[in-house]
Amino acid sequence: MAQPKIPVDLILEKLAEDAEKAQERAKKAPDVLLGPLNTDMATTPSEIVYEEDRVKVRHYLPVTETKFKTPLFVVYALINRETMLDLQQGRSVVQNFLKEGIDLYMNDWGYPTRKDKFLTIDDHVNGYMDNAIDFIRRRHNIAKINLMGICIGGTFSVIYAALHPEKIKNLITTVTPFDFDTDTGLLHIWMKEIDVDKMMDAFGNMPGDLMNFGFLLLNPARLVIDKYVGFTENIDKKDFVENFIRMEKWIFDSPDVPGETFRQMIKDWYQKNLLIQNKMVVGGKRVDVKKITMPLLNIFGEFDHLVPPAAASPLADAVGSKDTETLCIPTGHIGIYVSSKSQKAFSPKIVRWLKERDE
Amino acid sequence: MSQDKKGTIGPESLLEAWMKSAADFWGSMARMWTGASGISETSTTSKEGDKSRVQESMESALKMWQTLSSTMGEPGAMDSLFQGTSALPKILMKMAQTGWDGYFHLQQQWLERIGRIGQRTEAYKFESLDQDAFKAWMEIYEKEFKQFLNIPQLGLTRFYQERIGRFTDKFNLFQGAMAEFMYLVYLPMEKSFKVMQEKVEELTKEERLPENPQDYYRMWLKILEGHYMTLFKSPEYSQIQSKTLNVMEDFMIARQEFLQDALQSLPIPTNKDMDELYKDLHHLKKKVRELSKKVDKE
Repeated sequence: MAQPKIPVDLILEKLAEDAEKAQERAKKAPDVLLGPLNTDMATTPSEIVYEEDRVKVRHYLPVTETKFKTPLFVVYALINRETMLDLQQGRSVVQNFLKEGIDLYMNDWGYPTRKDKFLTIDDHVNGYMDNAIDFIRRRHNIAKINLMGICIGGTFSVIYAALHPEKIKNLITTVTPFDFDTDTGLLHIWMKEIDVDKMMDAFGNMPGDLMNFGFLLLNPARLVIDKYVGFTENIDKKDFVENFIRMEKWIFDSPDVPGETFRQMIKDWYQKNLLIQNKMVVGGKRVDVKKITMPLLNIFGEFDHLVPPAAASPLADAVGSKDTETLCIPTGHIGIYVSSKSQKAFSPKIVRWLKERDE
Repeated sequence: MSQDKKGTIGPESLLEAWMKSAADFWGSMARMWTGASGISETSTTSKEGDKSRVQESMESALKMWQTLSSTMGEPGAMDSLFQGTSALPKILMKMAQTGWDGYFHLQQQWLERIGRIGQRTEAYKFESLDQDAFKAWMEIYEKEFKQFLNIPQLGLTRFYQERIGRFTDKFNLFQGAMAEFMYLVYLPMEKSFKVMQEKVEELTKEERLPENPQDYYRMWLKILEGHYMTLFKSPEYSQIQSKTLNVMEDFMIARQEFLQDALQSLPIPTNKDMDELYKDLHHLKKKVRELSKKVDKE
């Protein structure tokens, strides 16, 4: 029987080549790691114009003449930090908006402590968000503003727009979960099983570290192994290392989520899916998304494993507005904001859409 | 010394002799002590002859040992002592037997697992998830050992003792659940190596082996990713994850209760104290905001 040919010599030759390259990289790595590294994020100049408890509202200083009559207020999620929208030069949604003349405000939910464990979704939406929006309306002397929500911030924005439609001119939701009854995302499968009451009794607030661990578990092969293999393969490249560390800083900068808010999120959204059924109650009032009658732009990522298309796409059909648009970008949950490809699709689309509705 | 018919010396008679000599020893110690202190046993308390408390307690201790030794030296005393202490080995034997039974049960599980080495493995499938070993350990713990931690406590400190028992019990359960969960998360890794091995064999037979080591890494990573997806979507994984979280939370709650007891003696507010304050503060702030909004509208 003929022996199968195994190109052992070629494999060994390749291994030796790779080992040599690795050695070269290891020689240059200390110069990069020990040298000056620019890993700052959120460097676009802004001023804090409103503060309430741990929540702040930033106003970004204009870089050009304001070309929009209505200011835009961006509401970020409670998970991770809004600094991702201003990651670095060339990958900053904030800078893209400012260059197009948008008058931009963004909230900063801060870092909840044990003191905040009793805050509910009502406190966030009808409390902090409503007060911030009223502040911006008074500041500009206008009746309505443009509202844009990111991820859970988008879900909060949907609830807000349904409860206070008279204050919102245009609504933009990005990677926003709306229909939680789907098995296409691991989070949606796992959250159905957890005992959130016991969890909050034990933890108080939902720890950011535990959430981070959960997010890593979503794909440990890529997020725990391959990511760092890639890092070692490029450890001698200063730009790569800077970008990598910037992302690492952001991804593990995870504030806790206030306990009562988390409890309601899991029970009302992931387990009972009340929002899409118009049965969710916030602050004693039922949230009816049919009351969202202002124009809606809903954007989501085709390969988003945290908010799969099945969770984000049904929003446009559920609202009462006749002017709705849905855009699916071929990218993931974070890539929609930071990938160089998305920079050409995401921000320009929002700017154009707002411009058409800025009378 | 007494001897039986065959001329050997029994343990009871040895013990009797030892007790008798102990009684003599303590008796002579007592006499020496009273002689050295210059006080006779029959002297009445007088101004010069006042006994100090230390001397009195030494005397009574020595007399007690003398009495005990004399009593133990009597023929029937050792028999009754042996009968009483023979119960202790029975308890120890029972505990040891439980431990051995558990160990053999676990060993059986391990041998079954070892027997599966060499069998062909199907990619992206997890046969029985190999959880039996953990289930066996948890069964043993729950049936045989947990009951000792849940024995009702007595006395003034009974609540504290109960909380310590509960803390220990929850800790053990947490350790078991965590071990099971970590093993489960490791399973796809193990499986991916086996599948990779088979894939390489297949490629070798077809003479399609890649030359670039990077290709092997990417192949293995894809297999690993697929296995993790399969595992994480399974209802068994969701249940084990949920169970592990529940057990961890039970442990955290029990630990909090235990630590609260410990902190009570220190001037440190506990989470429970602060939570009550925070709740009041939260309600007050909410009320103030509502009222100030009403005032602003007016």
